[in-house]
Amino acid sequence: MLNLTANNIFKNFGGLEVLKDVSFTVEGPELIGLIGPNGAGKTTLTNILDGALKPSSGTVYMNGERIDTRPPYGVARAGLGRTFQVTRAFRRMTVLENLLIPAMAMRATARQRDFEEKAQEVLEFLTIAHLRNEYARALSGGQQKLLELGRLLMLDPQMIILDEPFAGVHPRLMEVIYRYITETNAEGKAFIIISHDMDTIFTLSRRLLVLNYGDLIADGDPEVVREDPLVKAAYLGEDEE
Amino acid sequence: MKPTVLYRVAGAIAVVILLVIPLASSELGGLGPLVLSSYFMHLAITAFFYAILASSWSLLAGYAGQFSFGHMAFMAIGGYTSGLIGKFIRFTTAPSELCTDIPLLGNWWLVVLNIRRVGTIDESCLDMAKTETLPAGTLIVFPPVWASIAMGLVMGAIFGLLVGWLVLRLRSTYLALFTIGFSEIMRASISAEIPITEGQSGLELVPLFPGGLLGFTSTSKIPPYYAMLLLFLVAMAMMTWLAGSRFGLFIRAIREDEEAAAALGVNIVRYKVLVFVITSTLAAAAGALQFHYIGIITPNTLIILQMSLVIAMAVIGGLENIYTASVGAIVITFVLELLRTNITIGPLHVDMTLWRLVFFGLLLMLTLRFQRNGLLFPILERINRGGVAAETVSIRAAPTDEEEEGEETNPPSSSEENATVEKEAESNDVESDR
Amino acid sequence: MENAAIFGWALLWILFWGALGGVVTPRIYGRKDLEISQASFGGAVIGAALGPFSLLPLWVATPKITNRLIGIAIAIVVGIFIAAFALADPDNLCVANGGFVISQLANGIVIGIIYGLMALGLTLIFSILGVVSFAHGEFYMIGGMVTYFISAKWLPGVSPLVAILASCIVTFAIGYVFERIFLRPMGSGEIERPTEYAILVTFGLAFFLQYFTQALTSAVPVKAQRFFPFPRAELPADSGALLRMTPGNVTIFDAISIPNPRFTAAVLALIMLAALLWFLYRTWVGKALRAVSQDRQAAAVTGINPNSMNTLAFSMGAMLAGLSGASLVQVFSWLPQVGIPAAARSFVIIVLGGMGSLPGAFLGGLIVGLVEAAGTGCIPDATRAAAYIPAYGMVILTLVLLLKPTGLFGREL
Repeated sequence: MLNLTANNIFKNFGGLEVLKDVSFTVEGPELIGLIGPNGAGKTTLTNILDGALKPSSGTVYMNGERIDTRPPYGVARAGLGRTFQVTRAFRRMTVLENLLIPAMAMRATARQRDFEEKAQEVLEFLTIAHLRNEYARALSGGQQKLLELGRLLMLDPQMIILDEPFAGVHPRLMEVIYRYITETNAEGKAFIIISHDMDTIFTLSRRLLVLNYGDLIADGDPEVVREDPLVKAAYLGEDEE
Repeated sequence: MKPTVLYRVAGAIAVVILLVIPLASSELGGLGPLVLSSYFMHLAITAFFYAILASSWSLLAGYAGQFSFGHMAFMAIGGYTSGLIGKFIRFTTAPSELCTDIPLLGNWWLVVLNIRRVGTIDESCLDMAKTETLPAGTLIVFPPVWASIAMGLVMGAIFGLLVGWLVLRLRSTYLALFTIGFSEIMRASISAEIPITEGQSGLELVPLFPGGLLGFTSTSKIPPYYAMLLLFLVAMAMMTWLAGSRFGLFIRAIREDEEAAAALGVNIVRYKVLVFVITSTLAAAAGALQFHYIGIITPNTLIILQMSLVIAMAVIGGLENIYTASVGAIVITFVLELLRTNITIGPLHVDMTLWRLVFFGLLLMLTLRFQRNGLLFPILERINRGGVAAETVSIRAAPTDEEEEGEETNPPSSSEENATVEKEAESNDVESDR
Repeated sequence: MENAAIFGWALLWILFWGALGGVVTPRIYGRKDLEISQASFGGAVIGAALGPFSLLPLWVATPKITNRLIGIAIAIVVGIFIAAFALADPDNLCVANGGFVISQLANGIVIGIIYGLMALGLTLIFSILGVVSFAHGEFYMIGGMVTYFISAKWLPGVSPLVAILASCIVTFAIGYVFERIFLRPMGSGEIERPTEYAILVTFGLAFFLQYFTQALTSAVPVKAQRFFPFPRAELPADSGALLRMTPGNVTIFDAISIPNPRFTAAVLALIMLAALLWFLYRTWVGKALRAVSQDRQAAAVTGINPNSMNTLAFSMGAMLAGLSGASLVQVFSWLPQVGIPAAARSFVIIVLGGMGSLPGAFLGGLIVGLVEAAGTGCIPDATRAAAYIPAYGMVILTLVLLLKPTGLFGREL
């Protein structure tokens, strides 16, 4: 059973407090939305969970193991995968190679052909199987986003953090991504989804975290959070009027 | 024919040709009308030397994206280590008393010769010991060449490890500057420490096969040819295996996007250091072998122009493939030699020894600008990937899943040019968005 | 050197505590959740300064590492270095002869100004285009060559100013053409991985220009005549105690002696520097250039064409290198290869000063000029010193890159 615990995370960038005492726990395959206005610290929090940044103070545990001291690849191996706000496909490698990298990185003795079948399944699920041998740079922006999601399936983590998965995506692809999230979640992977798309995030997630200038101001059921006066004042109020 | 089969056949033919070339050399009487001069054999050895350097640099820069300018420094480390061992180390059956003696197994001693002062004609401590302290009948043995070359490899690997670890945090321009600095420091130290390295006058190395080999004398070109060819083939085989394995996959991912690779579980620290160690060991091996063959090594082998020659070979051949880089190196070595002939047109006398390098520089710039992947690489791409667009289209054309229909890519198109062109346009869009 | 051991041990001591401070300090600061961006570099210099006597208090008290603290520590390190040198070699001219020291300092500053001007060109290119031009040394070399050939071969007797102007025009033009053909496509996304491309293509340009010049001029060293010989003068008139000028030299206070070519070169450099500052801060184009260096996108929105700014910056950077070469061709003998050490020196300077920082480049130039003057004047074993000179700068370069990649005035990476 997955357990991710972030304890009292602080982060300063040269005196600027970006995160102030953020604590939360994820237990089991939850589907969590992380929202907040621009500059709230969402991406910083992602980077800290992922190991790309070290917190100024505080700890992160995953299944009882401390992960905030590990480098990003150590965190990935512990079972946490993520996407980036800007798509970061390996542009001059083929789609298939893109998918093989995380699978190979996770297992020291594996060979490429062991994963080709699984890669094919993932590609079919994401509707980009025909692009298998194309270079990633030849894909459209939305397809590259799907490719990133596919890489995460090959990594097979217990928890997935998606940074703005719906931003700038064609409605058709949005459907694929939506299906990806719900089905993968049903298979037992936890999700944290950062998004500006309020409607999607409210219908999709079953728990909401709200960051406001480094403070975690709300944590709970979306319907409850929506009515929270703090959240309204800080964020939703201005947005919905 | 499938590309892999094509490559195996072509590779086998190339290896056979390279193996039988010496049969046509003047030393062996030539093959019928074809008689290759010993100068040609020398060129071939040099070409293999550059091919090893260019292809290992392509692994470092083209695959892993680490644009290091210190490759020649690693090469020189190999050459100098081997040369210095030959200059300063001896094995004897009795302690010399005058030099630094280290007891080994049995009654053998490892003797490290003292460093002589510059400008003196003092005998070395071992020469003096011969007449003074060593009992009559003492054996004095030079270290075997293969062992000193092996030590050169080890030193290359150690320095590769050190530099690879130091530059972990440095990217592109900063890495280039750092490695230029490293190379220049090496060059200056070698030039300055004259008592050890002989400075600009050059360190002499014993021949590759001091006693000759199989009836060939030590000055024959044939044993060195096979030695260098063997190293070249071993290096290529090793790099082919590496490039095709997880190592190749990961270093290319690091080249494309280091952070994304790390987020997907790739141990970027290990692979970045490893690629430095491997490529610098190969460079050191090439250097050690080449300078035993040439017989002398000077600090000028480290100058930046030598480095730019290797870079130019790799770039013109095709930086992102070890084969195109090595073929580029071999072809360019020969072409540069062919262009040595001076031209005289009426009153105009063109010294081609200089002008050929001018054209070469121009070719380098034009290749970079208009054929980014080198002049040979596109051919390879055509063979490898000729079927990809058609394959993409054919799978698209036969929809198996209803959801595929609504996708945002081009509608299924019968002509493959159409598909590729539109793809191109799309990728440009993405680029300008960034 | 008499007591070389003293100097060697002092150096070892500095290095050991510097390395220890550089490695351990960030861990201690990190454990206490303090700002660690300066800790590695600060720890290294503070360790180098007083060894355990400064490191222990630092680790216990963990004060905020300010630039002031670092500055003091660097001053102490330099002080210890000089003291150890003086102890080790008391008879050295650099220790025993004050006049020689001042003369060396003055010469170091004079040459440093010109180095600074050249590095300014490189840093200007970096700040606008974000690339380091590896052909910078070749522009320097060409500047000198053009000046020499015009003033000595083609148009003897013409004012050296004409020759210098011509060298400016030539280097500017080469830079312009190169930028338009080879660097312009970088901006349009036509070229993948532009940083690596820029490194290689400027490298190719260096290769090309060097052999091109060599093919045209042959490899015989050339040297231009003094551009502007001094008039003969003495102040006071009979003794010359304050100022004595001969065509080739000026002596101030009977102690500081500066050769005429260096002096005129420095004056030229200062004039050019003033012109450059005026251009960057007072003209519209100069302001536009600075705007682009600060924020490309914002500048583009206000109607500045970033592409033409790229071209302008690259050509001007090339011209500044050419100008430095033009003013130094009367000081050093000139070969097609002179650009290589000069370029290496510029790399050191801009890394030391902080990539893209204009004041950093100028200050870095002065520092490197002084260090080189000290190196040539003070080290007893002349041949070894000469061989090691290019390495000193490179040691500085590698250390700065490892410890503080932003240099003295650099922006965050």
